[in-house]
This record gives sequence, structure tokens and C-alpha cells, in this order.
Amino acid sequence: MRFVIQRDYLLQSVQDVMKAVTSRTTIPILTGIKIVATEDGVTLTGSDSDISIESFIPRVEDDKEIVEIKQTGAIVLQAKFFSEIVRKLPTSTVEIDVENHLQTVIRSGKSEFNLNGLDAEEYPHLPQISEENAFRIPTDLLKALIRQTVFAVSTSETRPILTGVNWKVENSELICIATDSHRLALRKARLETEADGKHNVVIPGKSLTELSKILDDTAAMVDIVVTENQVLFKTKHLLFFSRLLEGNYPDTARLIPNERKTDVVVNTKEFLHAIDRASLLAREGKNNVVKFSTIDGNSIEISSNTPEIGKVVEEIQTQSVEGEELKISFSAKYMMDALKALEGSEIQISFTGAMRPFVIRPLNDEAILQLILPVRTY
Amino acid sequence: MYPKNGRVILHVDMNSFYASVEMAYDSSLKGKPLAIAGNPEERRGIIVTCSYEARNLGVKTTMPLWEAKKLCPDLIVKTPNFDRYRAASVAMFDLLRQFSNLVEPVSIDEGYVDLTDSQELGSPPAIAEMIQKQIYDQLDLPCSIGIAPNKFLAKTASDMKKPMGITILRKRDVPSVLWPLDVEQMHGVGKKTAEKLKGIGINTIGDLSTSNEIQLKALLGINGVRLKERANGIDPRPVDPDSVYDFKSIGNSTTLPRDTSNQQELLKVLEKLAEQVVVRMKRKQVVTTIIGITIRYKNRKTITRSQKLENPIARQKEIYEAAKRLFHRNWDGEPIRLLGITATGLQELDSAVRQLDLFSYEKEAEKEPLLNTMSKLQDKYGKKIIGSASSQINQVPNSKSTKHDTSFNKDFLQDKKSIVSRKKDY
Repeated sequence: MRFVIQRDYLLQSVQDVMKAVTSRTTIPILTGIKIVATEDGVTLTGSDSDISIESFIPRVEDDKEIVEIKQTGAIVLQAKFFSEIVRKLPTSTVEIDVENHLQTVIRSGKSEFNLNGLDAEEYPHLPQISEENAFRIPTDLLKALIRQTVFAVSTSETRPILTGVNWKVENSELICIATDSHRLALRKARLETEADGKHNVVIPGKSLTELSKILDDTAAMVDIVVTENQVLFKTKHLLFFSRLLEGNYPDTARLIPNERKTDVVVNTKEFLHAIDRASLLAREGKNNVVKFSTIDGNSIEISSNTPEIGKVVEEIQTQSVEGEELKISFSAKYMMDALKALEGSEIQISFTGAMRPFVIRPLNDEAILQLILPVRTY
Repeated sequence: MYPKNGRVILHVDMNSFYASVEMAYDSSLKGKPLAIAGNPEERRGIIVTCSYEARNLGVKTTMPLWEAKKLCPDLIVKTPNFDRYRAASVAMFDLLRQFSNLVEPVSIDEGYVDLTDSQELGSPPAIAEMIQKQIYDQLDLPCSIGIAPNKFLAKTASDMKKPMGITILRKRDVPSVLWPLDVEQMHGVGKKTAEKLKGIGINTIGDLSTSNEIQLKALLGINGVRLKERANGIDPRPVDPDSVYDFKSIGNSTTLPRDTSNQQELLKVLEKLAEQVVVRMKRKQVVTTIIGITIRYKNRKTITRSQKLENPIARQKEIYEAAKRLFHRNWDGEPIRLLGITATGLQELDSAVRQLDLFSYEKEAEKEPLLNTMSKLQDKYGKKIIGSASSQINQVPNSKSTKHDTSFNKDFLQDKKSIVSRKKDY
């Protein structure tokens, strides 16, 4: 194998596939990046067996030559060293040359590295996925879906299924739900493609976070293929495979309250900043909890009291407060996470009692919803 | 005599406290070899304290009773009587408080006194003599006192002359007095730490005083740096009268009457330990966020395991369940000699909160109408007007369950402060 490649393209691809490579793997060869050169271009692969990423660098793009293939072939190079080498090479072109069997030479300008490679034949095959059940969504929408839900997944392994995001496709609609059992994030999106397929899967939160990092904010479409135990995200030059979580995701639809006893409409930013200020003292204490109370017809009070530090009270003008008066305490962190995930300048918060979950939505937008469970004092 | 700069700290250490209290109580015991030990039939037959007469014959703390009897056939053995010791301790600290406001009880039988602002009472050695004499005259109890510019040196000094000694240790004495000593003899250095230190060639306190700070920090963390400071006679810790209230953990353990691997029996012991821990937590008005267990096997191999909980807990059942989970996960089935439960990550009851769970909140929410009514009543008439039954019973001063223990907890040292208002609904 021998080729000369533009360093910037190589670096971008290496950085993308590195998202899947970990040093803590039970399969030693997975600490490497697989590099395959064909007549069409160069393909890089990284995997930790949960996530696999394949990045393709075409020989020519926009009439510009990116790779000059001198001899086809394949090699696996230690990811840790290879990525650092590529990052630090002196000139804008790189030659990669596998000399005798596994000895690999990386040349750039006057610098020359000799790396011991591994046999590419030993590298595990990526899952074979038939692309029958595909649906498509724009990249920027996909990124928004992830951003607005993935923060709410559980980080504890007590209920492994909650470490993933539940994706449901039904009637040309995608519904993403994440909950750690203390808060829940839900986001719906219409699928423009005539997807008649029905899916109900759970994608590990970590996979979605990594995926989101390597996607650009473009309107280009991403093809999504769901199988029984894998999901594949496919863009022009990128394949992203993730294992799915096994098990049934709890039915959360019935847990989201429909009725409401107190409804508050408030400016998102003002509310977020007030919570942030109130939690300034609270987060220094042992739990980051703020108290929310309705006062008279049109305002609310946010307060927190940390005995060893001090207390803070702030009144906020609302657009409206309707229904029963209410005092409720909740985690400032959960509230800020939820508010940051919402779009829209006004939000509506619907309560059904001090010890029941409450729902936050942008005003007049049914596509997204954040739910938070309050805390109760002893 | 009073130093112009710096502090004057006393460390008052009661001499063989339990034994001395027994002698004060029954003067016929005076001058005789006396040991306080647990009940040998329950295998708690270990010497907790003994009088100097017994010590002279080689009897030592933690020695099994049978061994002590061999050394000293006339040994008088008494089981501990904590009510007596507690009363004597309270009286002793009250007496110390007459000399300074800054009295910090460390345990039932020792404490620090900051005399920096007590010039008008006399010179530090004169005050120390007065304290020692008054404790002896009024309570019939002997003590040793260390006088020094800081806590570490004071504690070291009080150890130098026993019983009834008064020792002054100045910073300038450190090189001649402390540095030649084996590092294991330094306060704050246990067996394990000493082993580690010797592993890097630190054998004496002098070696420690000139050791490499980075290496120490790598070996022992921040504590290593502190130890080095102390080896140089530096210890900035203030005498803090409230430190006894900053309890970090509440733990109870018990040696089983016999080694057992009978799971049912062991779980019963855990259940009982959970109850003891809960009684103490209630007295301190706290909830716990981390539960730990200790398992000591027949061969004395000891493991401790702990788990951070999602929500703070305070009920016996919850603590038992958490301990049981840890036990099942960590017990290898071998016979067990001792079991313990420790609650850490303690939070005050009135500032602790429970995060409700999406999948179980409905159970909690059922109580909402009741809690609403209670909070309305409290708003109107004050917090004490109503609370759950358990919030009303935590005044029980000292539980009977301490009767069989050989160890002692210093919860009672807090009683002076228990005027803090009783908390609301729990």
C-alpha cells in the first residue's frame, strides 16, 4: 500500500474515527485505526465494538486531487501514535507507504516515521446492514434532536436501559425520549421521507453524543438504518454504526401528566438567569435545590437557602400565572439543562402539585417537552 | 512567661480514664490492678483500659482477657459503665471551660484548651497545674497535660509524662526531642503510614522533617504534606470548640459471639446494627447519603465497602436494605467475626431533600394532602406545632443498646448543643 494524501483531509478523518477508539478495549487490534487504500480513495475505520466509525476520503473531490494512490492495500496503525503523528506533521502532504508487509513509513517534508503496523485482515468486520428500513433527516435537525434529549439520559448503571435514548418511528414521525427517572426530555420530528417503517429502539447516549460531535451543521441529509441490534447513520463520506441497548424502554407516555393545576408563562432567558443566580449559593451546598413559589397574579419568586453560606430571593414578572398557588422545590441543574435545551423566547410551565412532575414547553410548540420531578424535604 | 507572639495550647489527657473513674467511684479499688473489659462470654473479652498497677505487670489495652489474667492473676475485671464515664467526662470539660472559652473535646477523655487569651489567670504552667489539681481534687481523676504552641506539640507533650505529668514542648525543642524518634511514634502516623514512609527511607521524625514534599504528596496525598509540617513543629489547626459537632460519619460494629457463615444470622446482626445507626442519626438529626459496611473474617482479614445513594435515607429499613445489598455483593461466604455499618455523607435533616422518581413518585404524592395541611399549620402556628411521630421522639437521651458495647461514641459530647431546634416533618 502506498499513497500520498492532503494532510488536512487525513487529519479530519483521523479525528472523526478516533471518536470510536478507546485504549480500554479487550480486543487489542481495536486500539488501532484501519487504513484501506483502493482505486477510489482511502477509508479509515475506528471501533470500540460498541461504536464503529468509517470515514472515506475520495481520490478526487470538486476536481481537486486529494489522494494519489500509488499502490492499493491495507494496514492497521496504533491510533494513539498515528493520530499524534498526523497532527504534528510539518507539510501539507503526507505519504504513507507500507514497505515490507507491516513496516509502515510516514513521510512529510523531511520528516520520516517508521511505525510497526498490524495485519488489516485481523481487524473485525463492521456489521453488514441491509439498507431497506432507512429513513432520512437533515443533519442539523439530527444534531438538534440529540442535543435536546441526550443530556437527560441516566449515567448510572442501575437501570442500563435508561442510559440510552428511546427512538420511536411511527406514522412518519420520529419521537426521541430520554430520562434518568428524575427528569425527562422528549422531542418529536416529522419525517419528510415516506417512511412506512415502524421502529422502537434504544440508542446508547454516548453513541449519540459522539455522533453529534463529528457531524457538521449542514442541511445535508443523513440516512438512518435501524436493524434489530444496530443503527447506522450514513452521510456522504461517513458511516457511523452503534450497538443498540437490549431491553424494553419503559412506557413513559402515561407518566407525562395531561392535566394541569398551575400554569406559568415566563420569558425563557429571564427565568434561566434567575435560576442560575439562585443556584449560585445552592450548588455550593450539598444539594443544588431552588424553591419556586407563585406570588399574587403575575409574578413568581425563586429562592434558595444554604444555611452555611447564605440565601437569595428573586422575584420575576411573568406573562401569566393561572390556577392554584404553588410552592415547589427542584434541582436547579435539571431546570437549567431543560431550559437550555428549549428553543423559543417564552416558555410555559405546567404544574400538577408540589410532589408531581411538571412540564416545560416553548409557548405554542408541541414538538418538544421537558419534564422534571421536584424534590421533597424530609 | 507568656509568649508575645503565637498561641498557648494545652492538651489534657485523662490517665487510664475508665479505670480511674471506677477507682474514684469505689475507692477500695485504688492501688489495685484493675482492667475494664467486655464480656468474655460474648468474645468481647478485650482489655479496654487498665490501671497503672496493671500496666506495670505488662497488661495492655486490646490484650485478650485470658492473656492479662496470666500476667496478673489478681487482676480485677469490670465491664464498662458508660453512664459513669460520660458523667465524669462532662464534669471534666465543664471544669476546663472555666479557664478558656476555647475548649475542644476530642474524645471522652481528652481535649484541647487554647490559653492564648487567658494571661490574667497566670503563666501557662501555673494554669496547667491548677487544672490538674482541680481535676484531681474535685473529680478524683488523674490527668497529664501538654503545653505547647500548637495542637500537635501539645498532644505529643501530654504523652511524655504519665500519669499526672505536665510537660512543656517548645518549637525549639523539636530537633532534640522529636527528631530522633521512630516515625511510627509520631501522632497521626499509624502502622500503615509508617510502613509506607519506611518504604521510601523515612525512618525517624527527623527524616520526615527534611523529606521531599512532592514524593510525600504522591505517597500520602495532602496528609503527607501536613505530616511533614508537623514534624517541623508546625500545626496551624485552631482549637475549635465546635469540631465535635462536625461529625463525618456514624458507624456501629459488633463482634459476633462466634464466627459464623449463617446468612440468616448475619442479616439479623446487620438489621440490628442498622437500628443502632438510625438511633444515633435521629439523635443528631441527620440523614445519610453514603452507606458502608465492614466485614471482618475469621482470619481477621477486613474489608470495607461503601456505596453512594441516589437519595439521602434515614429509616432503619432503608439503611438495612442498602447494607444488605452491599453485604450480598461483597461477602465471599467465609465465616465472619465482625460486622459493621457506617453512614457517611451526612446531611442535616432540615436541609436534606429527596429527589422524586418518575417511576415511583405517585406513592409519595399520595401523602401530599396531609403534607399540605401540615405545612399550612406550620406556616400559621410555627414549625413546632405539628410533625411526624418520629420527629417528636428523637429526644431519647441515650439508648439502652450501648449496654453491651466495649467501644464508645462521643455523641453525648454534643448534648450541650442539642438545643438546636427540632426539625419539621420527617
